[in-house]
Amino acid sequence: MGGRIAARLAGALAGAAIVLPILVVVPVAFSEQSFVTLPPEAWSLRWWRAFFADPSWLSALVTSVQVAILSAALAVSAGTAAALGLPRLPAWGRALMNALALGPIVAPVIVLAVGVYALARSAGLVGSVWSLALAHAMLAVPYVILNVGVSIAALDPRLAQAAEGLGAGPWRVFRTVTLPSILPGVLGGGVFAFVTSFDEVVLAIFLAGPRVKTLPVRIWEEIRVEYTPVVAVAATIMIALPLLGAVVGRIGARRAA
Amino acid sequence: MSEVAFERVSKRFGGFEALAPLDLSVGAGEFVSLLGPSGSGKTTLLNICAGYLAPTSGRMRVAGRDVTALPPRRRNIGMVFQNYALFPHMNVFENVAYGLRVRKVAPAQIEARVGEALRSVRLDDFAHRAPRQLSGGQQQRVALARAMVIEPEILLMDEPLGALDKQLRKEVQLEIRRMHVARPRTTLYVTHDQEEALVMSDRIAVMRAGRIVQIGAARDLYARPADVFVARFLGESNLVAGAVIACEGETAALAAPGLPQPIEGRAAPGLKAGDKAAALIRPEHLRLRAGGLPARIVERVFLGEITALRLELSHGVELWLRLFGTDAPSRDDIEIGWDRQDVSILPEQEP
Repeated sequence: MGGRIAARLAGALAGAAIVLPILVVVPVAFSEQSFVTLPPEAWSLRWWRAFFADPSWLSALVTSVQVAILSAALAVSAGTAAALGLPRLPAWGRALMNALALGPIVAPVIVLAVGVYALARSAGLVGSVWSLALAHAMLAVPYVILNVGVSIAALDPRLAQAAEGLGAGPWRVFRTVTLPSILPGVLGGGVFAFVTSFDEVVLAIFLAGPRVKTLPVRIWEEIRVEYTPVVAVAATIMIALPLLGAVVGRIGARRAA
Repeated sequence: MSEVAFERVSKRFGGFEALAPLDLSVGAGEFVSLLGPSGSGKTTLLNICAGYLAPTSGRMRVAGRDVTALPPRRRNIGMVFQNYALFPHMNVFENVAYGLRVRKVAPAQIEARVGEALRSVRLDDFAHRAPRQLSGGQQQRVALARAMVIEPEILLMDEPLGALDKQLRKEVQLEIRRMHVARPRTTLYVTHDQEEALVMSDRIAVMRAGRIVQIGAARDLYARPADVFVARFLGESNLVAGAVIACEGETAALAAPGLPQPIEGRAAPGLKAGDKAAALIRPEHLRLRAGGLPARIVERVFLGEITALRLELSHGVELWLRLFGTDAPSRDDIEIGWDRQDVSILPEQEP
């Protein structure tokens, strides 16, 4: 009996430890004060007005969404193509490609950042939305490959053969038979890629330019100068948007399934 | 609808010979079953015919045209798989319409042809159901309609009834047979079930280890199997092993250890004195005969209208005898015989 209560308590504590640091920014965002206090003594929307009145915050938000959408599109295209191709490789090729694809997960992000920065500089892409999207796509591709790979493993190869036998060419087979069957995996991979890009900060700091900054970079800059609740507003948006994306993705996946 | 010819077609997977070079011709509108145990190469041959597999050597002709190098989508085949392979995200109508849409048939015509195809498999009320809402038998009939609506030159079926239970299997079997009789199409049908092959085929090709052991009409294969393997695979058989002691023209005599007299019967082609062989006596050809070989009934199996009796002869020779239930003797010690023209002397299968 006592053991059970202790176990529940420990579970609640662990849960709080995970959720609290995330949720603590939400009340702060609705604070009335000019500095961060917990809990806020008075409530207002003043920092939300401040956030949306400041073009630098707004453009950071727009850039973040742009980069996240672009990188998700890139990662989903490349990752889905890779996941489709991998099973056709001989065993040693598959092992090699799997190891390579997992590289961005295993390698320290700072090492990737240094390398990507060098490449982006020589290509003149520092400070462009494209370099950010490409770099973030690289981070997300492994997750897309894994996600879509699971769907493909569950896919009956006879379906594609049946379509082929009925006269469909490779592109038509993909569009009308393969893609609809693996769509849940593709959408899941896309949501994951979006989130990965949206909250990524290390690569974004290296690749940001004076006019192209993502929201996490802007938060990082702001917090070094002054610590006002506007940062909490930005953080709250960062929590809410991917959550919204995940919910939409889940509903989409359920429709497709 | 076209005739199909395989010419010296073979297939190797690494060191494994899945198909030895073989020749097979299927006439226009003919229904040929490939019958054999798993690993005999029958599905490999079907996949080569569909274009899913490229043969290691040899060529394949459809209506005289060499199609060996053509991909499946250019072969105009109708393929039916064991697991149906219906597109799960399309309803029954769209599944059947798929091949017609690929062929850019006009919408009004698609409507008409799909409707007709679904009527032919008695599923016209199910057009808007999802495949998973149908029973296994219904799904397989949708798959049949999908394969036939495109008017394929060849219909290919890979154990299409394998996933169905016995009752449904019978139903769909007769359905396929009925459709074939109403509208003969060149058909290759893969199965390991002898009954399926017997019910539906114009000809049966019995396969073993990548080779066609024998091909012919069901009746001929049953009455004149080429060897012990074919005899075992088609129908019930009593096989008495022994050695050929005499072989003259169409007749041979086999000495079986334990039997007082040699068994005489029709000799399989190529048989010669001294060969190891077996005498095939179908259970329905054994008769009770006063003054015949003494035998003892050791088991009685009730099969409805038929009763099967397991007999023991001298020296452990065992035979099955099938009689109408009313003819079965009540005593255990009986005397049996058979007619010489009902016996075949067959070579043992090659190792």
